[in-house]
Order: sequence, then C-alpha cells, then structure tokens
Amino acid sequence: MFLIPHARRLGLRLLEKQGDNLMIEMPYNAELEIIPGSGIVANGAITALLDTALGAAVFDQFEEYRRIVTLDLRVDYFEKPEPFSSVVVKTRCLKVTDHMVFVQGDVYSKDSTDPIAHGVAVFSYAEMEKAS
Amino acid sequence: MILPFLSKLKEKQTFDESLDISPYARMMGFRLMRQDDKLTTVMKFHSDLIGSPFPQALHGGSVASLMEMAALMQLFWDRDLVHIPKAIDITIDYLRSGKPEDTFAKARVFRRGRRFATLHVEAWQSNPDKPIASAMLHFQMVE
Repeated sequence: MFLIPHARRLGLRLLEKQGDNLMIEMPYNAELEIIPGSGIVANGAITALLDTALGAAVFDQFEEYRRIVTLDLRVDYFEKPEPFSSVVVKTRCLKVTDHMVFVQGDVYSKDSTDPIAHGVAVFSYAEMEKAS
Repeated sequence: MILPFLSKLKEKQTFDESLDISPYARMMGFRLMRQDDKLTTVMKFHSDLIGSPFPQALHGGSVASLMEMAALMQLFWDRDLVHIPKAIDITIDYLRSGKPEDTFAKARVFRRGRRFATLHVEAWQSNPDKPIASAMLHFQMVE
C-alpha cells in the first residue's frame, strides 16, 4: 500500500489491522510543519493521511486489486494535534454496495481515546464483481 | 512569519513566489502567484505527489491540501491577519483524475464574518474550465 509515492513521502505506515479496522500512522516529521518549529503537522498532511487510510480501507474490502476513485472526502478538524507527536487514523468501513464503498476514520494524536479529527469518504470501484 | 512575506508581495502587481517559509509548503512544492489581480496557489508537479502509479495520477490528499492552502492564502491576502485562522472542516469533491502536471487553485470567499469564514476553492490543471476538484471550507477567525 505504501508503494504510493505520496504516502511514502509522508512516512505513513500500517500499525495494525483488527478485522475491518486499519490503524495507519503518520510519524512526526519537521517537514510536515506549517510553521517551522511549532511541532504541529499541517492540516493538509492530516487530510492526505485520511485520504490514504480510507483508500486503504476500501482496498482491504476486496480480495484482488481494484481501481478505486475517491468521489468525496469530508474532514472535520476538532483540535490541533499534539506538538511533536505522531498522528494515527483508525478506519471503519461503513458499507460496500455494488458500485460504492462508504468509509470513515477517526484521527488521534497523543490521546488514543480522544479524536482530534474525523473523516468520511465515498469511493467508487471498477468492475461489477461482488466485494469479498 | 507569513505577514512580512505577504506584505512584501502585496506591493507587486505580478509575482510567482515559492512558499518556502513553511516546511510543509516547501515539501509540497506550493507557490503563490498573482496575475491580472488574481491570486492563485500553485502545486508544482513532482513525483512525490503521485497517488496512483498506473495510470499516473496525483494523490487526492495532495490536491485537497493545495485547496486548503489556497483558502488560507486568500484569507491572509484579503486582511492583515495576525493569527492563522483555524480550519473547522473541508469537503472535497473529486471531479477528474489529477494528471502528473502543475495544479492551480483559486479560492473565493463566500462569506466572512467576525468569527467565521466560508470559502469555495476550485483546482484545475491545463484547462481552468475543467476543474479536477472543488472544495468548501470553514475557518474560525482567531483574534
């Protein structure tokens, strides 16, 4: 999954997979700061993390490779991430239909019980075969 | 940091400047461009922005990030803000696949109140009439 050049550039890695849920981490890196020295990663990087993680959650629904397309993505930013801290997304697949996959993800910073952001996305996928 | 950078630019009628003041913006290859009194945020293509290798397409997250930067730059351009407005939410519609080329984004302020601002952003590549994505954003203004 992290052969995706942009995901690799952000340093994303899969922490674990529990059933349908993926935990994907973006480790802290000074290059992700909007304001140098602040320790706070850019919202844009969090959005890209969500986009990647939710896409991965969609891929995970299928046994073989499918071409997927993001139709839309909505991100709510509750609060800033903890400075100098990694950011983790926990994904959940809401529904797979004939053409679409509906997914969401909670974003955590230091406190793994209190999300700092939330994302929800709809993906379409190629071919009409049933999801696994 | 951003204020002195922008106030110097505001004196110029035409410019195309790299947003090197921010580490993340530098990593993304963001530039700020002014032409015919229009402010455009640009994401110069480089291979780290790719989201799909075959066929090659931009990562949706990088396009979203460009649109968010364009919105923020527009807010700073219109007013001499002291603090960075806080993003509340972003809703992105992906309209076309992003080709491995430079991408442009222009933000329009729908409403700016004392506490909140609502913006709409469009992102395009070679043809401005064929946007590859659009986004709605809300920001909380910080006094």
